[in-house]
This record gives sequence, structure tokens and C-alpha cells, in this order.
Amino acid sequence: MTSQTLQKVDHSILKTNQLFIIALSVLAFILNLPILAAFVALVMGIGSALKTPGFGIIYKSILKPRGWMKPDVLDDNPEPHRFSQIVGFVFLTAGSTALFLGSAVLGWTLVWIVIALASLNAFGGFCVGCMVYYWLARLNVPGFGKQPPAGIFPGMKPKAGARA
Amino acid sequence: MSSDILLRLGLALGIIGLGLFAYWCVNQRLLLRAQNNVLSLFSKLPNKPVIVYFTTPDCVPCKTIQRPALNKLSGLMGDKLEVVEINATERPDLAKQWGVMSVPTTFLLDARGDARYVNNGVARVEKLMEQLRTL
Repeated sequence: MTSQTLQKVDHSILKTNQLFIIALSVLAFILNLPILAAFVALVMGIGSALKTPGFGIIYKSILKPRGWMKPDVLDDNPEPHRFSQIVGFVFLTAGSTALFLGSAVLGWTLVWIVIALASLNAFGGFCVGCMVYYWLARLNVPGFGKQPPAGIFPGMKPKAGARA
Repeated sequence: MSSDILLRLGLALGIIGLGLFAYWCVNQRLLLRAQNNVLSLFSKLPNKPVIVYFTTPDCVPCKTIQRPALNKLSGLMGDKLEVVEINATERPDLAKQWGVMSVPTTFLLDARGDARYVNNGVARVEKLMEQLRTL
């Protein structure tokens, strides 16, 4: 494993993003509102373009200043999390498109895949998109250059004090 | 319209229930793993409930929440409880054996040394007390 410089990544902002994606997507399913699923996809798309978690603004402007969520800053690579959000964006966009085209089963299945993966990340600390990123890095795919922090299974949330 | 929403709500709850069941299965597997590795910690079982607490030096919630909760619990229970703290950075072998994926993680063993509960993440004193009561 090559040496690399890890960055400070606040996992609370990632968790906020995941919780909003989960809550709004479940709500979209229950109320049968494809437009809400499309809105979540749009926010994730904007977040991906700006290289920040889409719903992170809620954490920065409301949750963190009021002390409702505390920062959970860990040494980590931000790139796999960005990739993960892009994957979620693609799935939700495909799901929303399928819903607007009348394919409810395919559309909601894609939405539920995003909900499941975001839940695994938020509650289980395992980021499937990050794991895929690290696999692609291992296969030397261009644009995927980062290695997981030392001693951390690819995709698992790093333990505090992780080393490069 | 409302029956459609109810049906979807039921479906959503069913899917979430399945997810929780999967999470329960993972925890059961962790407990089984812990059970098989109890003897890696004790040469002789202490004949009282034990909390095996995995932490790392830089884990902030461990310092601010988990450690104080365990201190309070130890104060309340006295010598009826043993707390074993393991630094996962110094003992990655044990963390791996026990299947620890994040810190803090606490395992509750009963007096016979059977692993009964696992808490992934912070477990507050009330929760630990409730779990100890059922041992």
C-alpha cells in the first residue's frame, strides 16, 4: 500500500446527507411522489458538481451551529464519498426517469437501492460506493487513485486515529 | 388515495423491517464470534458480568460519552461488574477476532461468559443498565 495524505473529513455532514436522502426518498415512495425523488436526485447532482454532500448545507447552516449535531472529523479520503454520491445520483436519476416514464417497479426498485445503501452507510458505517471506488483504484482505473486508510477495510468508516 | 398511501406505508415498513432483521442477523454473528473468542481475553472467567469495551485513543465519543458511562456504571455496580477496555490500535488482532468494525463497541458477557449483547457505537448508561438487568 503506498503512502498517501489523508484529509480531515467531517462524517457528520456525510451522515446528515444520508439521513435526508433516506427520509425524503422513503417519503417519496409512501406518497407516490416521483417529483420528490427527482428533487433528491437534483440535490445530489448539485452536490456532486460542487464536490460537497448535497444536503450538507442543512448541517452547516442549521444542525452544526445550533449544536444539534456535533462534528465527527476523521482522517479519510473525501474522493470515495464524492464518488458514492455520484453513484447515488445516477441511481436516483434513473429511478426518477423510470417513474416519469411509467415504470413504477423499476423506478421504485432503484430508489430503494439508494435508500438501502444510504442506510447501510448511515447506520452501519459501511459505504458501498467507497468500496467500489477502492476496487477501481486497485484495478488502476484512471481517476481512482486513493487507497483506503491503513488497517481499514475498503468502504468501512475509518476508526479515529487512522493512519495514511 | 389514502388506501394507496397506507399500502405504500406498509410496504415501506416491511422493507425497513427486513433491513432491521438483516442488522439483527449481523449482530448475532458478531455475538457468536465474540463467544468463540472469550477465552482470548480470560484465562479464567470472572464469574460476574463483563463489559468488553473496544476503543482507540483518538475516539472522541469514547472519551466524552462511552468512558464516562462505563465509569458511572462501574461506580453503581461496584465489584459486581468487570469492565475490560481494549485499545483497538494496540490490539488490532483482538479487534479483528471479535469482528469490531468501529469504535466504541461494547460487548456484554454474562457471568457464564456467554456473549449476550453487542452495541455498535455509543451505548449510554441507561441502555447498558437495561441490558445488564437481563443478564
